[in-house]
Amino acid sequence: MRLFKLAIVFTLMLAVLLAAAGCPAPEEETSTPVTAAQDKPAPPAEVDDNVPAPKLVSEEAGEINISGGTAHIPVMEEAQKVFAVMYPNVKISIAGGGSGVGIKQVGEGLVQIGNSGRAPTEEEITTHGLVEFKWAIDGVAAVVHPDNPVSDLTKEQLIKVFAGEITNWSELGGADKGINVYTRDEESGTRKVFVELGLDDGSFVDTANVVVSNGAMKSAIAQDPDGIGYVSVGHIDETVKGLALDGVAPSLENVKSGAFGISRGLYSLTKGEPEGIVKAFLDFLYTDEGKQIITDKGFIPAG
Amino acid sequence: MNGRAGERVFQFLCWLSAAALIGAVLMILGYLVLKGAGSLTPELLFGDTDPLKALTGRAQVFDGILPAMAGTVALVVLSVGFALPVGIAAGIYFAVYAPPRVKGVLALLVDILASVPSIVIGLFGLALVIFLHKHLSPAIQPSLLISSIALACLVLPYIIRTTEVSIDSIEPELKLAGQAFGASKLQNTFYILIPRALSGIISGSILAIGRAAEDTAVIMLTGVVASVGMPGALTGKYEAVPFFIYYISAQYANQRELAQGYGAALVLLMICLGLFGLAFLIKRRLESRFFYRG
Amino acid sequence: MQPRSEQAAERILLVCAVLSSLITAAILVFMLIMGLPLLAGGRIFTLAISAWEPGRELFGIYPMLLGTLAVAPLALIIALPVSLGTAALIGVAQPRGAVLFVRRFVQLMTGIPTVVYGFVGVFLLVPLIRGMAGRGTGMCVLTAALLLALLVAPTMILFFGEAFQSVPRAYLLAVDAIGADRWQKFCHVILPNAWRGVLGGIVMATGRAFGDTMIALMVAGNAARVPQSVYDPVRTLTSHIALIKAADYNSLEFKSIFACGLALYLVASVLVVLIRRIGRHEAAR
Repeated sequence: MRLFKLAIVFTLMLAVLLAAAGCPAPEEETSTPVTAAQDKPAPPAEVDDNVPAPKLVSEEAGEINISGGTAHIPVMEEAQKVFAVMYPNVKISIAGGGSGVGIKQVGEGLVQIGNSGRAPTEEEITTHGLVEFKWAIDGVAAVVHPDNPVSDLTKEQLIKVFAGEITNWSELGGADKGINVYTRDEESGTRKVFVELGLDDGSFVDTANVVVSNGAMKSAIAQDPDGIGYVSVGHIDETVKGLALDGVAPSLENVKSGAFGISRGLYSLTKGEPEGIVKAFLDFLYTDEGKQIITDKGFIPAG
Repeated sequence: MNGRAGERVFQFLCWLSAAALIGAVLMILGYLVLKGAGSLTPELLFGDTDPLKALTGRAQVFDGILPAMAGTVALVVLSVGFALPVGIAAGIYFAVYAPPRVKGVLALLVDILASVPSIVIGLFGLALVIFLHKHLSPAIQPSLLISSIALACLVLPYIIRTTEVSIDSIEPELKLAGQAFGASKLQNTFYILIPRALSGIISGSILAIGRAAEDTAVIMLTGVVASVGMPGALTGKYEAVPFFIYYISAQYANQRELAQGYGAALVLLMICLGLFGLAFLIKRRLESRFFYRG
Repeated sequence: MQPRSEQAAERILLVCAVLSSLITAAILVFMLIMGLPLLAGGRIFTLAISAWEPGRELFGIYPMLLGTLAVAPLALIIALPVSLGTAALIGVAQPRGAVLFVRRFVQLMTGIPTVVYGFVGVFLLVPLIRGMAGRGTGMCVLTAALLLALLVAPTMILFFGEAFQSVPRAYLLAVDAIGADRWQKFCHVILPNAWRGVLGGIVMATGRAFGDTMIALMVAGNAARVPQSVYDPVRTLTSHIALIKAADYNSLEFKSIFACGLALYLVASVLVVLIRRIGRHEAAR
């Protein structure tokens, strides 16, 4: 009999623990979500006529899982914040992984939105019935530490540096220091674009340090005075210096005009036409407010 | 003469080793405190959000670690909740009931589980998801529940071993006393052995909590993400403090995020050392072997 | 008195014990099933000796095997003398005052989260090592090994300390009686009598050094290439698993991480068997 008591106690303990963990988030009681809107700077009043932008608080609930391209993350996070005010019951998770991961995961139905920093291939689109949304134009540029005197490379030099044939900054007019090459993993769309358009399908030296996202590349280069890597142009700020390629600086204007050669679109992909909250979220990127976020994060809104 | 000098050199080397070790650790902890103490403000938890609104769920927190803290708490509660009943029961079985031969085999397996690196247990969790995703329901994905199950596997052997050792180390006279009075094996176990071993079991469980709270490798393969908000459902993604620290270390976007990383690392350190101190107070004698983790 | 509930209780406890042990087996089975296509036939050898270049369809784990074999033993070599010295201090001297503090401190070290070591390592140790090396990024074999040494030292020290203290008192008294000094006592009596315990501690620490993920992942640079010096970046088996993005579950690339998992699992199992061997002799003595 005692045993049963003990068993009951165990079960109760487990039940309580489960219950406690099941609803630790008090946000489920969203009784008065309206007030939250006042915390934010007032959103622009006018809305693009073509795009239905939900301005009122919606009671719609659900989950949007996003993964893939890491260049997209700053925009996604900001959009998540604003979207959360309009849709307080919608949970948005944002993970990185790289473009390859985004495309495959959305194809497998593991996430609702897969981001890619390169155009998906025909094969990728047809296998999984993907629909693409290109919402920004971006470039990819080689970056170095801000203290590095080198600020311009020819394409030939760029290829040799990343291939490990030029190994000292003095060969490029810099200090007599070894060059530390950083690269991304194979899933990266940024890497793919950089290899194709920046390195003319060249390769990376095998001693290159591997980092997993645009954000990680930026902080790695910001910390390494002798490092060189490549990031999305939208990610370049005062902590890293974008290198001009053949005399053309990696500025938004040059990317937009096509003068800077390494440019690409930022895509979000869904499996089939998006519906409901997923559609609402993607639509938001095309509203004035969405475009403002895209511009603020250093990209050129598309479409 | 020679002996004296030898002794002195030996003593000196011993002290030097200890000083080097402690110095290195103090340097790391000191650096963290120096850099992180300034971040220990309510803002670290709540970001720009009004704390009152965040806590009542009327506003989501985006720039603070509150969601990550909540995620870690949910993880710990779930995983230790799963592992505790099974672990204590298994420990009792090993200590009281198991015939030597059965114990030999089962305990070997538990020992192996204790030494399997946590990333491999995470990989196991991932394999489990893939298997279930393919064969049971495509809706199954890496999630809070899967992470908790994997973490439960990680802490299970600690709980089993502390339970077993706590009972084993009871004085033999006491172990037999109950039966001498005619108590059954079960009565003896629950009325004499377990109460006697309770402090050991509790302190072991607290250490398991600390282990579950600090582990990063298991969760990074089974459903943790950098940004989602408060954990909502068992089947959903979640944030966690150790993953946040890892994430920030690699890809902080600005000084503010970096400062948050230091703050979060300091918070996690204090939580873990606090739990450790608690376990220590409950059971003053510590068994070095339980701290074997991979 | 209550034979049925007695039986039921024993059965429930047995089920829990079996369940716990089965997890160990389940992990092995999952690793084998998931990694099977790569392991079948002679491909396991190709896997173990070829490079990691997914672009060229090469999914070997050779660089990671060697990476782990570079970082873990170096960490152990750094940690061993320090741990022996510290353990001798705790085990031989009276645990009073400063010595007691050292012991408590070492125990406390076991509670420091790995990710905290990694985090501070990135911002404190990496720049230091970069400056010291005068080349490279500072994210390298040495940085990871140094931090890993801190991680495994308490395991060694506490294990050694126990072994030193379990040397029969009579031996110590006998040595004292013939007027040996502490150094002689340690070298000629304690160490020879506790060497199995020391070995056990080393094996235990080896397991931790092989199995840790976060430190190498955060501070070792993760280049999938065999390191040529301690200042070269390196990717260990554990960080390789952590770095692979689980996107296409059927790709060979994905399956290769289960080969890494399997390798780590086998190392862990062998070490456990070793520890048990050592422990059994100890008990028999």
